[in-house]
Amino acid sequence: MTQQNECQPINLAREEGISAHFGQNIGKKVLILTEAFPFMFIGEIISVVDDFAEMKVQTTSIPALEGKTWFVHIDTIEVFYIETENGVPIPELKE
Amino acid sequence: MKNKTGIQSHDFSGLIGQEVLIITKAVQLNLLGQVFRPIFCGTVSEVGVGHLTLTPVTVKMVNAPFYKFPTSLSIPLEKIVSFTTEVPCDLVFPLT
Amino acid sequence: MKRRYHVVAIPIRIVLNTFGDHNPNGMMYVLKENEEKVKRLVKKNPFMPVDLVQPLFIRANEGDTVEILFENKLPFHAGMHFQEAEYDVCQSDGANVGFNKDTTIAPCEKILYKLHLLKEGNYFFSDLGNVSSDQNGSNSNGLVGGLCVQSRFSWWTDPETGKPINSGQYADVHHPLLPSFREYVWMFTDEMEVNDLTGNRPINHFSNQEEESFHGANYRYEPENRREQLVAEGVVCPNCEGEEVHHDSWVFGDPSTPILRGYVGDPAKIRLFHGGVKGTHVFHYHVNQWFSDPNDLASEILDAQAISPQSHYTIQPLYGLGSLQGSFGDAVIHCHLYPHFVAGMWGMNRVFNTLQDGSQCYPNGVPIKSLKPLPDRPAPPKPTKMKPGFPNFIPGKVGMKAPRPPMGIVGGRGLTELERNAAIANPRPGAVFTDPCPEGAPVKEFNISLIEIPLMYNREGWHDPTGRIYVLDEDLEDICLGKKAPEPLVIHTSSHTRYEINFTNRLPHILDGDAFQLVTRTYEAGMHIHFVKFDVLVNDGANVGWNYDSSVLSGETIQYSYYADTELKAWFFHDHLFPGSHQQHGVFGTGVVHPRFSKYLDSSTGVEVDQGTEITCVNPLTPDYRDFVIFAQDFTHLFNKDGKPLAPPPFPGSPDDPGLFGVNYKNEPLQFRLGKDCDPAYSFSSYVKGDPNTPIFKAYEGDSIRIRLLQGAQEESHSFNVHGLRWLSERGDLNSRLENQQHIGISESFTMEMNVPRAGDYLWTFETEEDLWNGLWGLIRAFDEKVPELIKLPDRLEPRERSKPVPQCTGNKPPSAADPTVEIVEGPLRKYDVVAFQTSIQYNSFGDHDPDAIIFALREDMEAIRDGKKEPVPLILRGNMGNTIDVTLTSYLKPELFPFKDGIYPYPIVKEQAFYPPSLRISLHAQLLDYDVKTSAGETVGFNGDQTVGPGESRTYRWYVDSAVGVCGMWDMADIRNHRSQGAFGAFIAEPRGTEYLDPYTLEPVTTGANVILRNPYLPDTREFVIVMHDGVRLLDKNNQVIFDPVDGVLLAPPEIDEDLLDTYDQGSRGFNYRSERLINRYRQHEKIHDVFSSDVFGDPSTPVFESYVGDPVTIRLVTPAERRRAHTFHLHGHRWRFGSENIHSRTESYVGFNVAGAKRNLQLLGGAGAYSGFSGDFMYRSGNIRWDIEQGMWGIMRVFEELKKHLPKLDN
Repeated sequence: MTQQNECQPINLAREEGISAHFGQNIGKKVLILTEAFPFMFIGEIISVVDDFAEMKVQTTSIPALEGKTWFVHIDTIEVFYIETENGVPIPELKE
Repeated sequence: MKNKTGIQSHDFSGLIGQEVLIITKAVQLNLLGQVFRPIFCGTVSEVGVGHLTLTPVTVKMVNAPFYKFPTSLSIPLEKIVSFTTEVPCDLVFPLT
Repeated sequence: MKRRYHVVAIPIRIVLNTFGDHNPNGMMYVLKENEEKVKRLVKKNPFMPVDLVQPLFIRANEGDTVEILFENKLPFHAGMHFQEAEYDVCQSDGANVGFNKDTTIAPCEKILYKLHLLKEGNYFFSDLGNVSSDQNGSNSNGLVGGLCVQSRFSWWTDPETGKPINSGQYADVHHPLLPSFREYVWMFTDEMEVNDLTGNRPINHFSNQEEESFHGANYRYEPENRREQLVAEGVVCPNCEGEEVHHDSWVFGDPSTPILRGYVGDPAKIRLFHGGVKGTHVFHYHVNQWFSDPNDLASEILDAQAISPQSHYTIQPLYGLGSLQGSFGDAVIHCHLYPHFVAGMWGMNRVFNTLQDGSQCYPNGVPIKSLKPLPDRPAPPKPTKMKPGFPNFIPGKVGMKAPRPPMGIVGGRGLTELERNAAIANPRPGAVFTDPCPEGAPVKEFNISLIEIPLMYNREGWHDPTGRIYVLDEDLEDICLGKKAPEPLVIHTSSHTRYEINFTNRLPHILDGDAFQLVTRTYEAGMHIHFVKFDVLVNDGANVGWNYDSSVLSGETIQYSYYADTELKAWFFHDHLFPGSHQQHGVFGTGVVHPRFSKYLDSSTGVEVDQGTEITCVNPLTPDYRDFVIFAQDFTHLFNKDGKPLAPPPFPGSPDDPGLFGVNYKNEPLQFRLGKDCDPAYSFSSYVKGDPNTPIFKAYEGDSIRIRLLQGAQEESHSFNVHGLRWLSERGDLNSRLENQQHIGISESFTMEMNVPRAGDYLWTFETEEDLWNGLWGLIRAFDEKVPELIKLPDRLEPRERSKPVPQCTGNKPPSAADPTVEIVEGPLRKYDVVAFQTSIQYNSFGDHDPDAIIFALREDMEAIRDGKKEPVPLILRGNMGNTIDVTLTSYLKPELFPFKDGIYPYPIVKEQAFYPPSLRISLHAQLLDYDVKTSAGETVGFNGDQTVGPGESRTYRWYVDSAVGVCGMWDMADIRNHRSQGAFGAFIAEPRGTEYLDPYTLEPVTTGANVILRNPYLPDTREFVIVMHDGVRLLDKNNQVIFDPVDGVLLAPPEIDEDLLDTYDQGSRGFNYRSERLINRYRQHEKIHDVFSSDVFGDPSTPVFESYVGDPVTIRLVTPAERRRAHTFHLHGHRWRFGSENIHSRTESYVGFNVAGAKRNLQLLGGAGAYSGFSGDFMYRSGNIRWDIEQGMWGIMRVFEELKKHLPKLDN
């Protein structure tokens, strides 16, 4: 059950909630889709700074952008999946 | 306030276990070149402050409208444009 | 990832079908690992097709580097040129172009090509070592293939065994994150040499003449002639005729052509390539639809798509196999051009509803090969005795025609037990095995009959005595009594409609014989439909594979059921049983699916209607609009008023380009439009000869209109143009480009939505010379004041009351148009002083020339051109967005300089040539710009005033550049026979605001030129190369002898060329920018065919050589202002661009198809000159038509330098 902070608009609370969720999953592998280029990131969450996730990105749609640290604005993520002990692993992508 | 789907204002946890169809903001998404509209259907398995998770989840791709995605998918609540619990995931409907 | 393929080019006998038709001199690319096996198999099976003999299809993933070790075992230099890929042009071009190193190889040599695959998609490859269009050339003999590039991380398996594969036309492609899909490669091939079992050219058993040339897919074809012979000889199907069972597997078993197998709902991609050399084909796939651009969900939905040589698409059927409704059965895939379809260019998509593990058989006992279910989808149920699955529940008899469907035919049969088991819970007529219609969808019933009735095409008495048309039953009497004029049937409904059609075949059994056709028994007919959703087994209106024959005999009625799921374009319908015999007589119609909740009104009375080619559509939410339907037709069998056949074929029944043209069963030939003074300049004027009898669509100024463009018959490409209006090329995509032209092939359907900004007469045309000459044009008439024959659109203001009478035909020359320059100009004004005059043009350094050319030029250049100090080039004008352009045109045409005073050219010709003396008047029409058609359309049309100029006269047109649309064609509209193919054309380029145009060598500002630098303070300096593609030119050689191109330009030609191969619209020479580097001239000097593009051997070609540095931003403006109907493909080696230049989602391509009169495109090269990888060298730009363009001179060079050259300043970026 989530409680709304009386002073905080619901939208902000949700955005903070999702940043917090990323913060709780540091070290985990995540798959992210964004509407903006390059559309997909797969990698490890290194840290969360405000509403940015710092990621060590293993795979995107563009090979040249891989193997690098990226900061993804969490509020722009359209859909994601964080790999946890209970869930299925993110499929391995092999060339 | 509570409506018939079971969600209370600002709280999606009443949806857990229910099948929902969710449409999000992007015009189109792109998975390694395959483009699709962000239309997802599945069972709500988890609700957080800022997101909910569908497990399993069908991605409604125009060429594969019943594509079961290999993982669960989490959707930021702020990205949701609309959702319904009254469209079953096996319903055939036009996507164009 | 790096992948490596070892490819060998080998000579091979290609057996094309089970009748033993074969190409003894075939050539193919094959993987080294299969070389010996394929040779062995072919030796063992000299008259049977061998599976391994197919075009080479290999696969790789996006981002891969592919190394091809290519080995040549052919007796001439050969290579592999890849489209779409990036590569070092000096190492991997597979050609010998300009000053590059030769990357074709001699017999027995090897070469390593290295390709970078930047994008998923279709990569066509072909040989450029031997570009002869004749039987000795490599491409028509099979030296083509496809590299299918998948999403990263994909892998692929054999659909039959599930094991990994290295090549082949069928594969299942898998991915960790994406759905698995069936991949089918479909390569159209045409014009291959064919011998029959006896080693002679196949003979048509009906006409006893040589068969139509080869048209097939993946080295296979299944000609109607061959199958029909078995009927005629009494082997199968007694009492059948032939065409109606051409695709019937019950009669003949399955064809040799590709059968694409899958299960209901399987995701699929058809990698479609055009590996042929000549014709544009129309790919049509029953049941399914797809996006015109799979990367853009806002793009148009198609179910028939034209494709010109060396171009390609990915067809991704929406909702997977069987579409939204999950229809199973056989869906035929074919080239919709009937002569090609009849020749054998078809195959099938077979959708099973039960598991095929190899234990089942088809009804004729042939085993059904196993088919692995896609791993991420549930397997279909196993077949059982009571539920055997498709096709084994259908009560057909092998050797006989397919059975009729259950329930559909009025008075017909019900379901057998097996059918009952296979059917849905509540089967009904037309929807037995799947129901496409959701419960509660509003039902609309139409009673439609197909009848035979004479059709009068024009006022001169040109007529088709055996017209065949669809009509609503309620109109039957009025049409037969002549109270209602026949027009193609157009029915109107809203989306989310369930159609219930009662179709009655009221045709006579016999289609009579005449100069065009032999007597044919067309005893059954149906209504095959496009776009809508339906059960293919019982409702296809066709007779395909193991399906039912869903047609009816004469006098019978069948019930069809369809569903319009969304707002569709105009869905095409036609007969699928005897279309090759009678569709050209008018057997076509359409249903228009409007927005939901729409109503349709008669535009003159306001009465609610549900049919008509011209109606008014009103909707409570969306703007009301006028809806106009235009059907193009060719192969129209017409007789003049004295009964003389017009343009008959060489013998009755010949598919060799018979007959003339029509639009909505009408035409208005220009030969009948001459007035008293016989001046062609007024051919389109209604003052002189009245309005044309072709459609004049009506609107009020400011109305919204939709044009539904279709082609009902029969084989050829047409180029639809609207002068003075424009639309978004992809209606649903606001990022798509503005257009005013559309190429169309039979069965395609386009909706163009626009607004009519001002009153006046707008000319619509099918712009190519022969079409326009023979009457394919009409008007859109926008009234400024009220007329009794047109209601207002309910959501628009009342039109003004009429203050002046509407203009009338006077028989005299039209009044002069008003002067547009009296209006005060806001914003910058740019003025051009343009002259039109006659001159000689040298097309190349070998002396090929046009002594009688007519050109437009700036006045300041006229003297230098006339004195030979300046070479004539097509006039290129430019203006920036926001500019007003005043173009003053002066005519200096002289009557004595026209070579043919009667306008009848001995070569190149058009059909039905007639007296049409050259006009001394001339005009300048521009595309896409904003202007008042009453003063500045550069043509004299309808009741608009005269806008042409006579000798010594001047007139100013005023155009406004309201959008930076890029290139727009410009041409004369005063005399389309005597001026345009002679050179009276050019281009206008609408640039972004604030752009300056600089000479690339001096950096000085220029006012014209095909090669400039665009400088804009907000944009990078960009090189702009304008390529004007044109054909239909009458050239003389250095000895002043007429060049009979294309025949005179054929390389390695046999002593006698079959002249029948030539259609009228192939005649004439061709090139770029008044230049043509005909290869025959080069070959005669140096008889090595692989060297013909080499500048080391010959120096640079006469066609433009565009120079740049690696990485320079480059925009190519490609425009085709003239002239003939044969569509050309444009391809630039080693570069790609976005299909829609303003749409970032758009797919990327290295070709532009359908270049016919009026076509234009702006190509921003991705990565600039040298592409992303930054390669330098000579990149060939050229036509993709091996037959007959490249040989005839349609090629040039874009040169990309690595190092700074003295003569070429670098860009200041």
